[in-house]
Amino acid sequence: MIGVLSYLIFFLILALTLGVAVLGLNLQWGFTGLFNAGVAGFLAVGGYAMAMLTGPSRAAVFGGFELPFVVGLLGAMIASGLAAIVIGLLTIRLRHEYLAVATFGIAVTIQLVCVNWEPVTGGTLGLIGIPNPTKAMVEGSLAQNAIYLAIVLIVTAIAYTGLQRLVQGPWGRTLKAIREDETAAASLGKNPVRIRLEAFVLGCMLMGLSGALYVGFIGYVSPFDFLPIVTFQIWTMLIVGGSANNRGALLGALIVWGVWTMSGFFIARVVPPEWQAQSGAIQAVLIGLILVIVLLFRPRGLIGEEIHVSRHARSAPADARPEAP
Amino acid sequence: MTRLLKILAFGLAATLGVAGAASAQDCPIKLGAILPVSGPMGQVGERIAETGAFAVEVMNEAGGIKGCDVEYVLRDTQGQSTVGVDAAKSLVDLEGVQALVGAVSSGVSLPVLTSVAVPSKVVQISCCSSSESFTALAEEGKTEGYWFRTYATNRSQSAMGALVASNQGYKKTAVIYVNTDFGVGLAKRFEQDLAKLGGTITSMVAYNENQQSYRAEVTAALAGDPDSLFLVAFPVDGATITREWLSLGGTGNLIVNNSLRSDDYFKAVGHQYLQDMIGYDSAQPRLPSVDSFNEMFQARFDGPPNGPGLHSVFDAVMVTLLAMEMSDELTGTNIRDNMRMVTSSDGTEVYPTVEGLMKAKELIAAGQPIRYVGATGALQFDANGDVQAPKMTWKLDGETNVETGYYTTEEVAALIARLDG
Repeated sequence: MIGVLSYLIFFLILALTLGVAVLGLNLQWGFTGLFNAGVAGFLAVGGYAMAMLTGPSRAAVFGGFELPFVVGLLGAMIASGLAAIVIGLLTIRLRHEYLAVATFGIAVTIQLVCVNWEPVTGGTLGLIGIPNPTKAMVEGSLAQNAIYLAIVLIVTAIAYTGLQRLVQGPWGRTLKAIREDETAAASLGKNPVRIRLEAFVLGCMLMGLSGALYVGFIGYVSPFDFLPIVTFQIWTMLIVGGSANNRGALLGALIVWGVWTMSGFFIARVVPPEWQAQSGAIQAVLIGLILVIVLLFRPRGLIGEEIHVSRHARSAPADARPEAP
Repeated sequence: MTRLLKILAFGLAATLGVAGAASAQDCPIKLGAILPVSGPMGQVGERIAETGAFAVEVMNEAGGIKGCDVEYVLRDTQGQSTVGVDAAKSLVDLEGVQALVGAVSSGVSLPVLTSVAVPSKVVQISCCSSSESFTALAEEGKTEGYWFRTYATNRSQSAMGALVASNQGYKKTAVIYVNTDFGVGLAKRFEQDLAKLGGTITSMVAYNENQQSYRAEVTAALAGDPDSLFLVAFPVDGATITREWLSLGGTGNLIVNNSLRSDDYFKAVGHQYLQDMIGYDSAQPRLPSVDSFNEMFQARFDGPPNGPGLHSVFDAVMVTLLAMEMSDELTGTNIRDNMRMVTSSDGTEVYPTVEGLMKAKELIAAGQPIRYVGATGALQFDANGDVQAPKMTWKLDGETNVETGYYTTEEVAALIARLDG
């Protein structure tokens, strides 16, 4: 039974780490309508920032400042935030599919920079030996992973509560207004470009945070960790879980990652040995099938957006007074 | 929503039940495999996975391990590190495997090693991961000895190049190399190795692929009047560089690696200009065990074992299984410690046929060391879990490619030890 517990902890670490990135994407797509197809690129920026800040010093590679884990997390958020400001200023005026194409290209570019910028990223060899902070705390992988899960849970909880407060406040309402009708929002005196940029940068910072959590856990980073498929997975999590709902985003991360991994577990048990080599294809079909079924029955995701009517509207007849947003 | 939760709860309960039952019994013994059977490496990975399963079949025909059948539990990495890491962890925790075969790409194998194999104290052996990072990690003591690979590392390439230069009596060598991780790594190692063998480098020039002309690079490399050229290139660009090198007055004393052992290259330059060139390459070991593997494979799959990683995954599985047989108690640590006992150089040689494996098990039962000689020849893991392959040198005689020397695995290992020492 200890094995099951150990695996569940491991599973939750990875699922919630991805979940942080899903929260970031939810802010961008769910609440603001920004089609960011470059999630993997911002994960990479965060991941490499973590590796450079906390990793061991190496002669051949710049970085390796051996700073504490928390500094690594914050540094990763700052680095991905800065990257997002630069990229955002260039692309934020693009709408929908145009933004998607631009950000996709940027993610591929970032990945190629990681492959080639050897003095900083270590090139295709990647960066090894990034310390996992729990290894210094306790002995035994189960206890170490349990502590790391606690760290990830705390980070996720902070990100979730922070986002909830933001999106339920005036800023969040402005985001939705821009998502639904940008011209109307502008006519009310909002600056859509600025607010879109804010949401973009904040979302990307969460993606960077997610990349840093992943790298801190695995202890290694290579360009190979940030292939475009990662972007696709994060998107699937958001859509399945329920766009514009932060609980949905986290649920989606758990469910999709669960389907993705447990399907392999079941197939390895069910498929006869001589078919094992084809199990990859069966697994891909199974994953696709489950996702399609979920979307057929719950087109807005498992928990979709909660429809809010202004609380003043409900009590309007009794207490009709205007209020500034 | 409640129905969904019920289904989820049921799924979870089923998982727990199955996993609980699995860990309670000892037979069959499980061997985990994490390979990319889908995704970008799917074509290659599928054949590797089948060959790994074939090795298990052969072992089961010979009576299995410790009187149990071996079950080969394959999980797909989809060529993705997160998926591979999860698959490995679930094999270790839910299936209770003590050894993992895989992965193919270094970008998947390394995260699996650092986050699953080493913390869980489980042996990991890869057929195909070539990155130097594994050796670096092992040298830092971070693999704790749980990492092995049956892929012969690139380390020997630069050593062979330097050896050729030194045997030919070249004193001043220019280096032109392709600007990729492969080329940069090889050229830098060559620079160190050549210095150890008494040669000097006149210049190190990198080139970028697919250019029309390399006049600038060649001119730079000609500075310092070199008496030889070490060229790390691929056929098309390599031919352009060689032609320009010769036409600008460069020497015909070329040293090239295996990527230029190609008729396209010879023809594009002209055989008559390449008579002083010496090359090196990995050699198929000349052992009956290799032929017997090839025959067994042919009989089983109705085709020859052509393709990357097939020989080496077969050996990876066999060595691991024999190390399991030798372990009193099946723990990753015991298997790790016995990996070198079943490949020990003073042991009795055994081949991976059904009869050979039965003999191996008898010897193990009698407490004798064995030396597994398999599809890639005699494996010998060094302290970092790396192996070396035999090498050969070749040249052109007229238009024929002839072999000029053969270096056994031991000789290559001794050479590297001398250069690293």
